[in-house]
Amino acid sequence: MAEHAANGWIGARLLRKEDARHLIGSGTFVADIRMSGLQDVAFVRSQMAHAKLRGVTKPERYAKRVFTHADLDAPQIVQAGPELSNFRQSPYPALASDKVRYVGQTIAACVAPTRAQAEDIAEAVTVELDELPAVVDVVAAARPDSPRLFESWPDNLYIKSTVTEGDVASLASAPVQVKRQFKMNRQATVHLEGRGVLAYWDARLNELVIYLSTQGAHVMRHGLAMALGLPENQVRVIAPDVGGGFGGKNRLMPEEIAVAALAMKLGHPVRWIEDRREHLLASVHARDHYYDLTIWADREGHLLGLAGDVYIDSGAYSLWPTGSFMEASMAARNLPGPYQMKHLKVNTFTVATNKAPMGPYRGVARPGACFAIERAVDEVAREIGREPVDVRRLNLVASHQLPYRTAGGLLLDTGDYHASLETVVGMVDLPALRKRQAAGEPDGRAIGVGFAFYTEQSGHGAAEWTKRKSRVVPGYESANARMLPDGSVLMHVGIQNHGQGLETTLSQIAAHELTLDPAAISVRYGDTAAGPFGFGTFASRSIVFAGGAVAKASRELLEKACRIGAHLLQTDVANVRAEHGAVHGPNGKVTLAEIARAANIRQELLPMGEQPLLEVTATYEPGDSGGVFSYGTHAAVVAVDPDTGKVEILDYAVAEDCGTIINPMIVDGQIQGGIAQGIGTALYEEVPYDDQGQPLATTFGDYMVPCAPEVPTVRIAHSVTPALCTEYGVKGVGEGGAIAPPAAIANALCDAFRAIGAKFNETPLTPRRVSDAVDRARNGGTAS
Amino acid sequence: MLTVTLTINDDEQTHTVEPRTLLADLLRDRCGLTGTHLGCEHGACGACTLEVDGKATRSCVVLAAMCEGRSVRTIEGLRDDKIMEVLRRHFHQLHGVQCGFCTPGMLVMARDILRRHRKPTEKIIRHELSGQVCRCTGYANIVAAIGAAGAELDQGASS
Repeated sequence: MAEHAANGWIGARLLRKEDARHLIGSGTFVADIRMSGLQDVAFVRSQMAHAKLRGVTKPERYAKRVFTHADLDAPQIVQAGPELSNFRQSPYPALASDKVRYVGQTIAACVAPTRAQAEDIAEAVTVELDELPAVVDVVAAARPDSPRLFESWPDNLYIKSTVTEGDVASLASAPVQVKRQFKMNRQATVHLEGRGVLAYWDARLNELVIYLSTQGAHVMRHGLAMALGLPENQVRVIAPDVGGGFGGKNRLMPEEIAVAALAMKLGHPVRWIEDRREHLLASVHARDHYYDLTIWADREGHLLGLAGDVYIDSGAYSLWPTGSFMEASMAARNLPGPYQMKHLKVNTFTVATNKAPMGPYRGVARPGACFAIERAVDEVAREIGREPVDVRRLNLVASHQLPYRTAGGLLLDTGDYHASLETVVGMVDLPALRKRQAAGEPDGRAIGVGFAFYTEQSGHGAAEWTKRKSRVVPGYESANARMLPDGSVLMHVGIQNHGQGLETTLSQIAAHELTLDPAAISVRYGDTAAGPFGFGTFASRSIVFAGGAVAKASRELLEKACRIGAHLLQTDVANVRAEHGAVHGPNGKVTLAEIARAANIRQELLPMGEQPLLEVTATYEPGDSGGVFSYGTHAAVVAVDPDTGKVEILDYAVAEDCGTIINPMIVDGQIQGGIAQGIGTALYEEVPYDDQGQPLATTFGDYMVPCAPEVPTVRIAHSVTPALCTEYGVKGVGEGGAIAPPAAIANALCDAFRAIGAKFNETPLTPRRVSDAVDRARNGGTAS
Repeated sequence: MLTVTLTINDDEQTHTVEPRTLLADLLRDRCGLTGTHLGCEHGACGACTLEVDGKATRSCVVLAAMCEGRSVRTIEGLRDDKIMEVLRRHFHQLHGVQCGFCTPGMLVMARDILRRHRKPTEKIIRHELSGQVCRCTGYANIVAAIGAAGAELDQGASS
């Protein structure tokens, strides 16, 4: 039974509509689609990081089943990255043409009735490569004397830029100066369902149908149509159930273009289902930030400014549409965090290396920036001998200062940052923890507590994305509300659900506006042939944008229903109101179902001049498109074995504010799930490369993801400060959980070993890194 | 090619398979039982967990040929199962599902835990789940749902 909140369906803990099919194994993911004549694709991939491609020899017996760059009907190379003239182009062919630039790059596609047979053929293909020096270290790669990935470039920089505010030179004589390096290593996005694509030519409709595991079917159709040289009305992209994305399914990828091109050529359906090895090798990689920073403060701990260099190891190519440029600019702009420092100068270097291309991953850039600034704040606190919490109290933007433009140029909108900090300090009982630390642990482990504050820009539209020179500007979302003759509602949205529960939350919003039960509303998405254009789910944008569009479409539909209802009740529209699925007048009511019947199939009942149908398509963008900021403070309590370096999280608490909540159950689920991924970044997940550019984690035996024993049940406290410019005051919540854990956990480790000054400035904090850091500190060094 | 006769969800079937054919691929590609998901294909993520002769088993590291004479039960074959009915209800009520990809394997493993442990503690559940990867939920609600199902089944058994 659905649970109603006091405010109608807004805020109700409605159980999810999506669950029923998944609980009986009846979800439909791309790999579950069966089609007669379907054949599988296996790719031949580069085994070298950097090489000239001399030739591909096909096994004679299977020559017609192997396709190289020359065999595909020349898919276009789509320009990727921001629309900035100084952003260098890195043409990325679907199948390598003259060079390979990372281990795992696609060279040939092999087609066979089963994947196993396709892999047999792939193994029999011979590839001739002339090895070139591998470019692996990001800082060395940025130097002018480094071997280059692209001959036409003067160096390996996609772009460099500087973010400046105030005058950091004026801080030269500041009493406290802390210089540190921080590193957040390379990760994969690891959605449990790998990528997947199935394509065939539909002769009846004269169009290419592409089933794609994606976060945004409409944008991908645009990119695929450009790559294939087809008009967009001959490309239909369908995203069925999508088994997680986290950013990893939001870029146009070479395998997808190759499979679509093969479908056009072969005349039967073909598919490629990514396996886990391919995922870790050649899917979207993320993070890989290196910070070399100086932070200045006064003796009390007032932060004055910050300067330094940020290197982003972007891998071998830019992925369409945006590349990884946002990593650098967002990292730089988020470095001042929620603090009142006035001076900032950050040089950013977005660097090409012989590694898999970088894309977005939950939190995009902010986990790295948060790690750097929150670690730096703790370092300042140690330097002046104060509690890290006190230094935060001193520097956090106060609620009376909001809206506040940070030195990074972000306009923080609403909230009470101090309250969030105090709440979480109370939740973990800091004084009690200090006593426990002083007493020591009977098992010899060290206990530490760490705090980290984050903000999560969400719901940003045209103003923000045009500033970023984005190739595609996701400035709105759309909804098509259609009331059928029996009064049931189809709500087609341009957004894509892939675990966020949007079938549930968007139906709550529609139900709230239409005065219906959510059960009467069916939310549909993920088919470019059915729904209006939309951008998809990323950047914590869905509830702000798609929620707004659904609210607007529903309201406009209800307005028309009220006009028809008033006519049926023989009264003026000013005298009617909608309530409980009916339009009520002074002398009775008429249900929405009766109104829908009139509008759809009994036009003689309509008022004069009223058009038939109850159908509205609406787009929505918040009043201020610079974004609204969710925020919160994380606190981690850890126990660490100093000899083995094994870290156990004893307690994890969050005090957050994401504005008005549509469904509290789903919000808590997003926070808990985001924190689990943040714990992965902090302690476990890494794709290391050796100095030949060979990736060293290509199975779940080498790439550790946190499981149930490693992820505690997070204690969550909410406060609600509604946004001023969004429907109902909502803000996004999808990414926040993943932003702060690396910072909070690293700060907790530093706290645990503060007596010996061990520093934990590189993630993931594996047992090796932790025990090495303790060892170094014990032997007298404190270098990071 | 080999011939293998096995019982799948109470139905005895004979299939001709390659020696290398995985049990998971036989079920998904030949029997249309796509509720068994493949998340890693090297026995590490648990998404493909099903039952062979009543034991939770990873079907991505079992060859179809090894299942001669055995009884296989997939998520599709557990729709009327009493324990599964209780688990599904608690997974739903406690929000133990997000994208749904790990869910079938997670449920089969959860059922296995409840058959081996009467009213398991949180610690036991977390330990027993350590081979099941979920990337969305952060496990908390899954652990809680299994605990709640265990408590309910225990009460049902003792009353």
